[in-house]
Amino acid sequence: MRVDPNYITNLVGSLDQTQVSEQQLTSELSSGVRINSLSQDPVSSGENVILLNQIQQDDSFTQSSNLVTGQLQVADSALGMVVSQLNSAISLATSANNGTMNASDVKSIGTQISGILGEVTSLANSSYQGQYIFAGGQTSTMPFVASTATSPESTTYNGDGDINYLETPNGQKVQLNVPGDQIFMGSGTSSVFAALNSLVADYSSGSVSTEQSVSDTQSLSTALNYVSQQRVTVDNSISQLAADSEAVTSNQTQLTAAQTSLMQADVAQVSTQLSLTETQQTALEDVIAQLNSTANSLFSKLQ
Amino acid sequence: MGTISSAFSLMSQALDADQSALNIVANNVANANTKGYTKETPTWQENSPIEINGSSYGTGVSETGATSVRDPVLTERLDQQQQLASASGSRLSALNTVQALFTPDSGASGATAGDIGSDITSLFTSFAALEANPGVDASRQSVLSSASTLAGDVSNAAASLNAQRTALDQEASGVTSQVNAITSNIAQLNLQIQSASPTADAGTLEDQRQQDLSQLSQLIGINQIVTENNGLSITTTAGQLLVSEGSSYRLTSGSVDGETHFFVGSTDVTQQLADGGGQLGGYLTGRDADIPGVLSSLDQLAYSVSTQLNSLNNAGTDLNGNSGTAANPLDIFNEPTAVAGSAAIMSVVMSDPNDIAAAGAGQGTGDNSNATAMAGLQTQTIVNGQTPSGYYSNFVTTLGSLVSSVQTDNTAQNASVTQLQTQNDALSSVNLNDEASSMTTLERSYQAASQVFSMLNTIIGSALNLGQQTTVA
Repeated sequence: MRVDPNYITNLVGSLDQTQVSEQQLTSELSSGVRINSLSQDPVSSGENVILLNQIQQDDSFTQSSNLVTGQLQVADSALGMVVSQLNSAISLATSANNGTMNASDVKSIGTQISGILGEVTSLANSSYQGQYIFAGGQTSTMPFVASTATSPESTTYNGDGDINYLETPNGQKVQLNVPGDQIFMGSGTSSVFAALNSLVADYSSGSVSTEQSVSDTQSLSTALNYVSQQRVTVDNSISQLAADSEAVTSNQTQLTAAQTSLMQADVAQVSTQLSLTETQQTALEDVIAQLNSTANSLFSKLQ
Repeated sequence: MGTISSAFSLMSQALDADQSALNIVANNVANANTKGYTKETPTWQENSPIEINGSSYGTGVSETGATSVRDPVLTERLDQQQQLASASGSRLSALNTVQALFTPDSGASGATAGDIGSDITSLFTSFAALEANPGVDASRQSVLSSASTLAGDVSNAAASLNAQRTALDQEASGVTSQVNAITSNIAQLNLQIQSASPTADAGTLEDQRQQDLSQLSQLIGINQIVTENNGLSITTTAGQLLVSEGSSYRLTSGSVDGETHFFVGSTDVTQQLADGGGQLGGYLTGRDADIPGVLSSLDQLAYSVSTQLNSLNNAGTDLNGNSGTAANPLDIFNEPTAVAGSAAIMSVVMSDPNDIAAAGAGQGTGDNSNATAMAGLQTQTIVNGQTPSGYYSNFVTTLGSLVSSVQTDNTAQNASVTQLQTQNDALSSVNLNDEASSMTTLERSYQAASQVFSMLNTIIGSALNLGQQTTVA
């Protein structure tokens, strides 16, 4: 049987091949990445896009969630202070009703309640990063403005009823704000500002009938309860965000683990392959050197 | 009855024959490393016997010339496989350059530069961040910067793809002159072979013709048709005549719609050559099918993302309280007019971050419903029935699979070329050990003939002296 006399050329081709795979393996080792081009593993490359997308979404949600939690906490603490201001307004009003106070004392209480009104107005106009938080969608306009034109004085709401939601990566919606009118301008007796304004108007005159003061105090209590109820919405959002954030973070950890194992080079395996390839290369080089020696030609034996 | 003098003549012919055979062996050894050389063997022919008085006597041997050891079926098969391997080889190198533009993101920080998949996600998550904080300037700025990154990476990829197409186009047009030089050479060789060796293998001339055919096979896909008197006609795989015995027909190229097209006579054979094989086939497949395919996928992505985000942004309310109008559109991206070419022109036209309409139509500027809607696009099937990331993921898988399948084809074809080459070399190339053994055999045969000659000389000397031992030595 005749054989290809140019077998050395084929062996050199194999040697080239081992060098290519050595190069590939060392690049995997040095970068730590298993897939350096799409064709190495098209399906994993595609999965990688999706995994990275989800990881980034989770990451972004965690950041957004921290940010809005800050905003919700500002709202919560503002409402907390409103509640305590309203409580002191109620105790002031109640103390004025016990019949022992003279006109000047009542007036002074009226002034104090007026101070509380100002404080509550300022709390209702709280802002976070330059945005009014109780203004619905009109966050660049001061939502609550006191007007002295009417008697009793009135407070108008310049915001709107818009509610913002944050969508979690799995599509749930978390309420981010409670519009100011819903908290402070509740209908009828539950309106904080209406109750406070009429208290101030009644007490500032120095003379207030017991009936009137009882009714004023009652409507203030109703308003207080109403504010507390609205505060629950804010608190719920905060705890929902915390829970979501935790779930998303744990999801992100799992996804990152999946993505890493998808893309990362298995160092032990790659090193083993590299060592095998090196052995093969040495063997090939030896074979070529042996075969290439002139002593192997029949001509060298014919002397 | 044979005579001693006829034995003399017989032996001197044998010596001549051995010498010319040794010459052939020496020529083989000399050409052992000549590319395209086909091993030659001496042709021995028994001389016609003569009949004397009813008895037949042999008259020795003649060496009638060298015969090239060649298997035309094998060489043609090798050429055909070479055409396939060259086509997939040049297509693969084009595709490798293409896939380098879409190197997968390892996910490690800092590795995201230029990765369109991450850019898409960043853009939509920047809207999600805006959702949390619609009034804050930094969030708006980050939307614009993510949009610019995506637009920049998509348009860069499109520009690189177009540049690669142009490069392939130039490579392809360069092939024509090589093809023409080879075909005219083959036509000349045909004439020489037909006149010099119409019935038998033409030896060196045939070697040259085979060498030309193998070069031509690397360039384009061809069919070979053997004609009378050892002539050869060559057509492209689709049947356009390139060489007809002594005449060759030029392959010409010309620009049609900004691309190089190829003609034989006045027939446009571009598509046939693309399907035919050889380097040219690979270049043309890359230029006309692979790269346009990748580009059109990017176009679809760029078009859908640009138009959908633009249309939502126009429908919302920006930080100045405005919505987009026909006269004053609130476009984030350069609005594409058609899908084709969208990727290349993708850019961010919005300069003022306040123009991003985070609020819904008719809502206050603190509203985030439009930002939510824009962030929500990433989970909606807005690109060819898929989500933007899903579409990109699919695109990456499709491209990777294409490259990988061409790679597999190329590896298999190269292995097959190597195998055929080995078979062909085993038959046709010079094996020095074989030559050494032939040389020894011939040397022995020459020695034997000389010995016989000298013995005949002694015998005829004895005859001349007729028993006297002295006169003639």
